[in-house]
Amino acid sequence: MDRSILIRRNATVFGLVMLMILGTFLVGCGSKQEVETDTQVPADQTPVQQIPEEVVPEVIDADQTALPDYGTLDPIEYGIEDIFFAFDQYDLDSESMAILSANARILKEVGAAVLISGHCDERGTVEYNLALGEKRARAVKDYLVSLGVASGNIRVTSYGESKPFMTGQDEDAWAQNRRAHFERP
Amino acid sequence: MKKSLGCLLFYLLMVTVWQPAAAVAQGGSSDVVLETTKSAFVKIDIQVNPLDVLAGGPGSVTAGQLVEGVLVQDLQFSGLFRVGGESTPADSLNFEFTIEGTVEGPLRDADQTGEDAPLTFDLNLLTWPERQLLLNKRYRPLPVQVRTTAHHFANQVIDLLTGEPGICLTRIVFSRGEGDRRDLYVVDYDGANTLRLTANRTLNLCPSWSTDGKEIAFTSYRNGEQGLYSLATTTGKVRQVIQLEGLNLGADWHPSRDELVVSLSRGQNPEIYRISPQGKVLKRLTVSQAVEISPSWSPGGRDLVFTSDRTGTPQLYIIDGEGANRRRLTFEGQYNDSAVWSPNGEEIVYVTRTGNISQIVLMKATGEDRRVLTDGYWRNCEDPSWAPDGRHVVFTSDRSGVFKLFVYDVTEDTFRQLTFGEHPDITPAWSKH
Repeated sequence: MDRSILIRRNATVFGLVMLMILGTFLVGCGSKQEVETDTQVPADQTPVQQIPEEVVPEVIDADQTALPDYGTLDPIEYGIEDIFFAFDQYDLDSESMAILSANARILKEVGAAVLISGHCDERGTVEYNLALGEKRARAVKDYLVSLGVASGNIRVTSYGESKPFMTGQDEDAWAQNRRAHFERP
Repeated sequence: MKKSLGCLLFYLLMVTVWQPAAAVAQGGSSDVVLETTKSAFVKIDIQVNPLDVLAGGPGSVTAGQLVEGVLVQDLQFSGLFRVGGESTPADSLNFEFTIEGTVEGPLRDADQTGEDAPLTFDLNLLTWPERQLLLNKRYRPLPVQVRTTAHHFANQVIDLLTGEPGICLTRIVFSRGEGDRRDLYVVDYDGANTLRLTANRTLNLCPSWSTDGKEIAFTSYRNGEQGLYSLATTTGKVRQVIQLEGLNLGADWHPSRDELVVSLSRGQNPEIYRISPQGKVLKRLTVSQAVEISPSWSPGGRDLVFTSDRTGTPQLYIIDGEGANRRRLTFEGQYNDSAVWSPNGEEIVYVTRTGNISQIVLMKATGEDRRVLTDGYWRNCEDPSWAPDGRHVVFTSDRSGVFKLFVYDVTEDTFRQLTFGEHPDITPAWSKH
């Protein structure tokens, strides 16, 4: 129990550190090198000092401190971005493909499993939107697999219009809700 | 929690099952041959009188008033009667029939005695003004079964006077909740007795009644992945029917064979399949790169209507049970979906979207006589389902803010709101008789 909480906290802090580094590199060098920064994070960068003393011995396992358990992280925490779609569409535009290329590099690097959930805006019927959400999530998975991400690491589901990210009956809200969302499996 | 739910469901359904037997025990109808009064436009004028309380406490009086009220409402909801009471001016309606009866209950009510003692109802249908007895039914319901008693007698009256079976004992199952937590609920056709059927903290939706009413197939994420499940209406028990990768959605039971049509994506693209109730795939009916969903059998069970976006926009198509003889049914509009065949097979009701608004459309199964039922006063209307009388359609609308259920009379273009409350109600399905 303690152990898992600790690992998660550890991982979260690590993720934040990583994001900061990643952000710096993004500003400085562009996206091509962002994945390399992952491997350059020194193993001793983990904030062992912040861990309460009595449980420290349990986690000073080099593997766990060096590499976070990505299964406990939301993909956004290690740099994965969601994909957005046009009204009633499930095909990927060039912007989406560029984002997915970056996503694919990260996923291949960290080897994490993800769940891609498809979402729609509220217009249209419940059933069609479940199908549309499925098509969106699957289009994203297929593209990632074509870029070399292990198919077995990607699970796909659809929530249709039932789990909106933003409520409201205007294009601002609708655009936010037409997406393929990366989450923990 | 789960157990009590199951018990409650079992109990409620038993009430219905029990009633007809009780009615037969003491019932009897005369041999008067009635002229057929069935007509779409000529309504039957009927009087419903307050019941005489022969014995009993205040509970008997209340029960008598409840039966009278439910009878009046049932006959009005059927759309086949003009209903008057004691106070109706004699010249306003031309009564042909009258309903009267008696109620007899325990002298002291259950809250005093602690015993749930049955009441006795003696209900009569007579001609007017001749007062010839057409139907006599005697019931002994517990207080909780009083509404069902009235529904049962109303069904008998409707059947006898119109030749059409009444829908007064039908129910509507639907999905209520928000986000990815929505459960199945069932409600009487008149909006009474809302009962929750599932409680698994996930998304449960798109229910479909089996033809014998013993099962409700539905889509659920109760195992984490989307799967198709079936709930036994007598026990509340849920079993998995099929859970293949991707969509397991939109089941519709065959009207006579023990099988369903469903949309499965099997890790690829949603297609229409026939499956057994045990989840065995019997036949794949569609092959395309498009979305194919929302299958609905014709009442004869030969053809089915479904949605495909193979042309780029969702449109309605008809195929036969082998997947052959495909023909496109809708050409008007950019979005046509959720079609369901009327019980007599002549009409199809479906959803069309114009701009950002979804509306309900009624048309002949041939594609002719297209008529939008819901006008500009409605906001979005979705997910229609036919009542077994072929006259009423239940669908969802967010005209009152969130999606709630509405019942629409397609003959008279009248409607009533069926469910209320703050949580959205979606994907209703009307039970068979």
